[in-house]
Amino acid sequence: MNIVIPFAHGIVGKRDIPIPDYVFGWAAGVVLILSFVGLAVLWPKPILQPEPAKRLCFFPSLLVDIVCGVIGVALFVIVVYAGFAGVQVGTANLEPTFVYVTFWVGLAFASLLFGNVFGPFNPWRAIARAVAWVGKTVSRGALPEPIAYPRWLGRWPAAVGILCFAWLELVYSNKDDPSTLSVLALAYAAIQLVGMSIYGIDTWTERGDAFAVYFGLFARVSVFERRDDEDALYIRAPLSALFKLDIVPGTVALLCVMIGSTSFDGFSNGVLWNDLAPDLQKFFVNDLGASLNTGLELAFTVGLLFMIAFVFGVYRIGVAGMRLYDPEKPWLVLARRFVISLVPISLAYVIAHYFSLLAYQGQAMASLASDPLGTGSDLFGTASVGINYGVVSASGIWYVQVAALVIGHVAGLMVAHERAVSDYPDSRIAVRSQLWMLGVMVVFTSLGLWILSAAGQA
Amino acid sequence: MTVIAHAGHWIASLLYDAPVALIVGALLWQNWRDKRRKTGSGH
Repeated sequence: MNIVIPFAHGIVGKRDIPIPDYVFGWAAGVVLILSFVGLAVLWPKPILQPEPAKRLCFFPSLLVDIVCGVIGVALFVIVVYAGFAGVQVGTANLEPTFVYVTFWVGLAFASLLFGNVFGPFNPWRAIARAVAWVGKTVSRGALPEPIAYPRWLGRWPAAVGILCFAWLELVYSNKDDPSTLSVLALAYAAIQLVGMSIYGIDTWTERGDAFAVYFGLFARVSVFERRDDEDALYIRAPLSALFKLDIVPGTVALLCVMIGSTSFDGFSNGVLWNDLAPDLQKFFVNDLGASLNTGLELAFTVGLLFMIAFVFGVYRIGVAGMRLYDPEKPWLVLARRFVISLVPISLAYVIAHYFSLLAYQGQAMASLASDPLGTGSDLFGTASVGINYGVVSASGIWYVQVAALVIGHVAGLMVAHERAVSDYPDSRIAVRSQLWMLGVMVVFTSLGLWILSAAGQA
Repeated sequence: MTVIAHAGHWIASLLYDAPVALIVGALLWQNWRDKRRKTGSGH
């Protein structure tokens, strides 16, 4: 028998905490201010550059890539097939839960814990590498050189890709439809294969493949790093790999999309948005002649774009403030230099917002793996396994959310401080400029906690 | 208008802005002090 599980974001339930939610916001602000003072006093010189790393063990890179690549392609085929051949009910079909929970959320957590996990499993990269290998073997020579990737294009394809996925997840009313997801997955894979064939596999994966870039950024927070030239696994200082990131055009936009879209996911579950959305919908329906459904989608699109613009605006103000101490540098140069400090914040937002989704909805994979098409099969004998909502309490989730946001923003402060003390020879100027980044961190922490608290009460 | 009409739903959440207000105040004060110092050294 197939268990039908409601597919919803962040089911939280009623919290039982002894003090009002906003006090956590105040405490988080105090922690950030104390961290700022601690950094100013105890961190006068760069310590994360050059990257401190130590060899951990042998790592068979090629073998891992082949095995994981085969698994990645097989999973991709199974998921897409389930979307087409299975029942067209989002909660009963493997695909929506796999895409929105296991892939989108689970891999973000895995990237933090284990490093670049998506890289070896990346199915379109594995296909491209296999095709390239066959091409080389058959032609017995080198393949044509890829076209040089335009510098101006930078990470813009990744930013657009993540924005499109966020729109699909948060706005599109048919987001749970399995066959639609399968079509989109195939279209995305086709775009990646074309991009890799034009600009080269590694270049496109590092710049244009939205998901590879997204998970790759989170992996830079992790302590694990594989070095293929040595066939070795290294352990490094957390966050240190962020300083090796090539900051190309589109990186600031990508981070704003990442933080803004996660913020909107929470915000759209809160009271304020639920008051505002019907008015916006009415405007699109009554004044512009949209249907009720399209009107709602347009309202949510406006909300998503507004939240991304808000995140960009806060960062813009922070950088403008820093520029008071470094007026010679153009705004965009400073914005790009310090954008890596937004990576831990984005990761904190993902953990805080999606922890409950992963903890609860992630369990649905046990039953869906046994019955991927929703047709009543029981391949592994786990089709009747339900979700245990007692695995973590609502209060427990709230504490995880608060901890993730505070740790993530303190990490963001550390990254910005490290960058400042390496860029400014005068440590007093470095610290003063970072007061503005402290402001950015406090705004994002307060915003994150308010959104989560409001979503939990709505 | 609905947002204002339903202010009771969300106005308590303004309490979350206290740390933001504190930081903004500190930044404005620092800015004012820096400007004053610059003006003072200019004379």
